Amino acid sequence: MKYVIIVGCSRAGRALAQELSSKENVVVIDKSLKNLDLLKEDFNGKKIWADALDVVTLEKAGIKEADALFLLTGNDNLNLVVGKVAKRKYKTEKVVLQVNDAMKKKIFGEEGLTIINKTYLLGEVLKKCIL
Amino acid sequence: MYIVIAGAGRLGLILAERLKEDKHQVCLIDKNRELCDSLASKLDNIMIICGDATYPGVLREAKIEKVDVSVAATSADEDNIIISYLAKDFFGIKRTVSRVNDPKHIPLYKYMKVDNPVDSISIIARVVEEEASFSDVMNLLSIKKGRLSIVRVDIPEDSPVANKSLKDIELPSNSVLISVLRGPEIVIPSGSTTILPGDEIIAATLIDSETDLTRSLIGKV
Repeated sequence: MKYVIIVGCSRAGRALAQELSSKENVVVIDKSLKNLDLLKEDFNGKKIWADALDVVTLEKAGIKEADALFLLTGNDNLNLVVGKVAKRKYKTEKVVLQVNDAMKKKIFGEEGLTIINKTYLLGEVLKKCIL
Repeated sequence: MYIVIAGAGRLGLILAERLKEDKHQVCLIDKNRELCDSLASKLDNIMIICGDATYPGVLREAKIEKVDVSVAATSADEDNIIISYLAKDFFGIKRTVSRVNDPKHIPLYKYMKVDNPVDSISIIARVVEEEASFSDVMNLLSIKKGRLSIVRVDIPEDSPVANKSLKDIELPSNSVLISVLRGPEIVIPSGSTTILPGDEIIAATLIDSETDLTRSLIGKV
């Protein structure tokens, strides 16, 4: 069983948390209680209602033991800062973050960070459809 | 000097106006269009750029490569960290200053190697704490992020140094008396200066010696 931390419980984060929690050890962090409450009853993980920019929150979520960290808030800058800190300070093995700006992806990309750009992904999928 | 300030909130604005008064060249960046429009009509001689300063293109528009100091003063700590990171690591700016909105976020500033995080909340909290406490010691000025302090000490009646001359007083190392305020009089102390109860002493001390200094002047901590 993998230990996974998900920051951001909006659509993507929530869907991922819901699905992963049946097989893996999942912790979800969001600063909005409303978002956390939207997780369905069969969500089998831990919810933390707090600010992910506070290292106390990250440590409470078990960042030191986590196998993977997913940063899926809608805030590119938050995702980047927390992702970089996880990699540098906590040596988290897999750090995956959503960054919607292609330019930032290029500048802030570093070894060990998997940066996902939704728009780019969608474009690639759409292109495949016509090939 | 040329200074770029990201974030035209209250702090950014006051800073811009003050720097302008000191004849510096100032550029303000904010992402709020309405705010920028109203500032542009009010402020002369301050360049205003409407845009998100966490984007390198916007910083480039502000001629960031020519800047002497960059200031990240937005109300979002993640943005301030990114702005300072871009200024320092991407554009090679030597002096970057960043506002910290929430002291809990300080570790992130540290791990992201932001050079000068200014934690206004903690600074204000300390000032209020000092004002509120009835201590005889007051911190007037902190230099080098608080490592060196200029303090004011009110000499009480029962002070161990009262009515002694300076040459007979043993001060902790790393502390020095700068002046003695006695009513309207300002005395620059020498060895023969006598300390009287009611004197206000201005002293410079390294932060580690502050308690020792307090003990030797007041007798208690």
